Amino acid sequence: MPERVDRDGTPAYRFLGVEVTRRETVFLVLGVVFLFVIPDIAGLSDSLQLSVIHQGLLFGFAAVGLNLLLRHTKLTSFGHAAFFGTGAYATAVLARYAGIQSVGLLLLGAIAAATVMAAIIGVLSLRHTGLYFALLTLAFGQLLYAIALGQSALGGSDGLPIRPGPANQPLLFGTAFSPDVYQVLTYYLTVVVILIGLFVMYRITQSPFRNALDAIGQERTRARFIGLPIRRYVWAAFVISGIYGGVAGGLYAVVRQYVRPEGTLFFLRSGDILFMAILGGFRTLVGPLIGGVVLIFLQDVGQDITQYYEFLTGVVLLILVYGFPRGIVGSLRSGGIVNARLSDLRREPSVLSTWGRSAVQSIERKVTEALTSLRIILFGVD
Amino acid sequence: MAVTPTAALVQTLNGIQFGFILFMIASGLTVILGILDVLNLAHGELFSLGAYTAIGVFGFIIGIIGPPGGGVVGTAVFVLAVLAAVLVTAAILLPVGTLFEAVFLRQIYDRDQVYQLVLTFALLLILLDVKKFIWGDSSIRTDAVYSAINTIPTSELVGLNYPTYNVFVILVGMVSVAGLFWFFERTKTGRIIRATAIDREMATAIGVSTDRVFTLVFALGAFLAGFAGAMAVPPTAATLEMGTNPLVLSFVVIVIGGLGSLRGAFVGALLVGVIRSWMITLYPPGEIAAPFAIMALILLVKPEGLFGTWGETA
Repeated sequence: MPERVDRDGTPAYRFLGVEVTRRETVFLVLGVVFLFVIPDIAGLSDSLQLSVIHQGLLFGFAAVGLNLLLRHTKLTSFGHAAFFGTGAYATAVLARYAGIQSVGLLLLGAIAAATVMAAIIGVLSLRHTGLYFALLTLAFGQLLYAIALGQSALGGSDGLPIRPGPANQPLLFGTAFSPDVYQVLTYYLTVVVILIGLFVMYRITQSPFRNALDAIGQERTRARFIGLPIRRYVWAAFVISGIYGGVAGGLYAVVRQYVRPEGTLFFLRSGDILFMAILGGFRTLVGPLIGGVVLIFLQDVGQDITQYYEFLTGVVLLILVYGFPRGIVGSLRSGGIVNARLSDLRREPSVLSTWGRSAVQSIERKVTEALTSLRIILFGVD
Repeated sequence: MAVTPTAALVQTLNGIQFGFILFMIASGLTVILGILDVLNLAHGELFSLGAYTAIGVFGFIIGIIGPPGGGVVGTAVFVLAVLAAVLVTAAILLPVGTLFEAVFLRQIYDRDQVYQLVLTFALLLILLDVKKFIWGDSSIRTDAVYSAINTIPTSELVGLNYPTYNVFVILVGMVSVAGLFWFFERTKTGRIIRATAIDREMATAIGVSTDRVFTLVFALGAFLAGFAGAMAVPPTAATLEMGTNPLVLSFVVIVIGGLGSLRGAFVGALLVGVIRSWMITLYPPGEIAAPFAIMALILLVKPEGLFGTWGETA
């Protein structure tokens, strides 16, 4: 049963180790309900497709895992598609060569494969930090991509279907469903997995382990001096984040019933996963998930309205970097930039013209700066 | 599979040729990394922008001087014109690099490194579609330069059937490597750049404008990428996705050579180029994976790369 506790003067409830205020409970319940009714909402409009949102959630889930590294240890992994792809390919291989039909077993296989892969890549790349680490993870991701592309057993650039045995698709609860039902059921499976994953991540972020990671992220040398086993802790965090990627990849394979190197292992997917975390707000727990849905949705809509959708994504990322570095969730939460601006606007509507002016001014200033640098480069300082 | 000595030689030469192209890309990337501490993900797009631009410039210049005239003089004029076209292309990339650094990157040096990655990735996406907007979806190519230069006999003189254009790339590559090392070892600007790499604060204290060095370095990187693009495009075609592979391979080169080390980038680029090219005959599926395998191996033996960091020597 929920137990009442006091958090900084506001009443809160504690249940299963999750501590929420009344306001947060409302958001939590709304969020969960929203996740569950998405198939109904998606049925209302053609532009909203369940498969797109589903894919966004899956990549977002991988981004939640990546966020553990990014948020606490300050390590930027640029190769998280490696784990996503490992999970997806493990599922495909198990289904094709071992004839495993059960979705549960396939997912377990994906988790096992991703764990092993994360353990190996972690040992090799965690010797370094900063950009070197980003480079190494990226290179290992590309190595896996190259292997998947080069091995005919893995289907080369055509990829592998997931159609185990006589059944045309993996079995849920030992039963084969029609494609429509299968799509909705796997969606709910994803939702359940995501909720469990978020819960586990929440518990991790409430644990001493998280504090240790924070300490390592802020000042490695000092963390070593107070006796933290840095290597092992960071490695553990890396493996955990890899498992999230593997689960997401396994689900992706089960849902799409087809894996291609381009869609799962390519380094642009790693980039996507990283940017989902930033887009949603990497200082928050659910941010990466929301970032995932938004980014995939944006790419999908962009593809429909213009052939220059990469440009669109690029501009969104630019706006994000300069205007909202805390991401969507980080900017919307109380104390974020959006709330502050909104309350300014409510108090004094004329503030709009000030914003406009300052925006123009800052653009002008930047152009002048750029021209000055150009002049200096060309003619030197006089 | 039996490999004849001739085939082995040809593959090695191919590898060296690719290695020089790779070095021009990786050197810019590694110097930017060593000084600005920024991993420029848009570097591959600068390379491909150079390739696209070069096709236009080649067409323009050949339009002026016409096809190579007969005799030694005519050929020499043509080769010089091609070189000039390559340099013009690279020069066109200079302001692009300058704008990148001065307008976009400069604002966010004090932020978390991850934002710089996002920024350069955003620029990558934008450049990709800018190219699609200007030059369209399909690949474009120019055969005139490649076929004209191949009519000059070089390797045939020693009884080997090898495209003269590739020999040309190797020669130009050697000259530019020598030029780059000369620039960083002997010129004042090069020394200032190296000093900034070694100790940024100290450089500022003795009166170096680091802002200026940063812009210069980024512009130099763009110049080299454009140069590489112009040299690489004649035998093949310019395609939208041509920037990806060299970018990722340059990462491998940088890791092998040591972060920010120019000498390391040179050795790494030739190593990757030659081994990749050998794999094409020995074991084709390994072509893409081989560079990464070497990288993993070198990391295990020497985690800081072959030449460590840059600065003390070029």
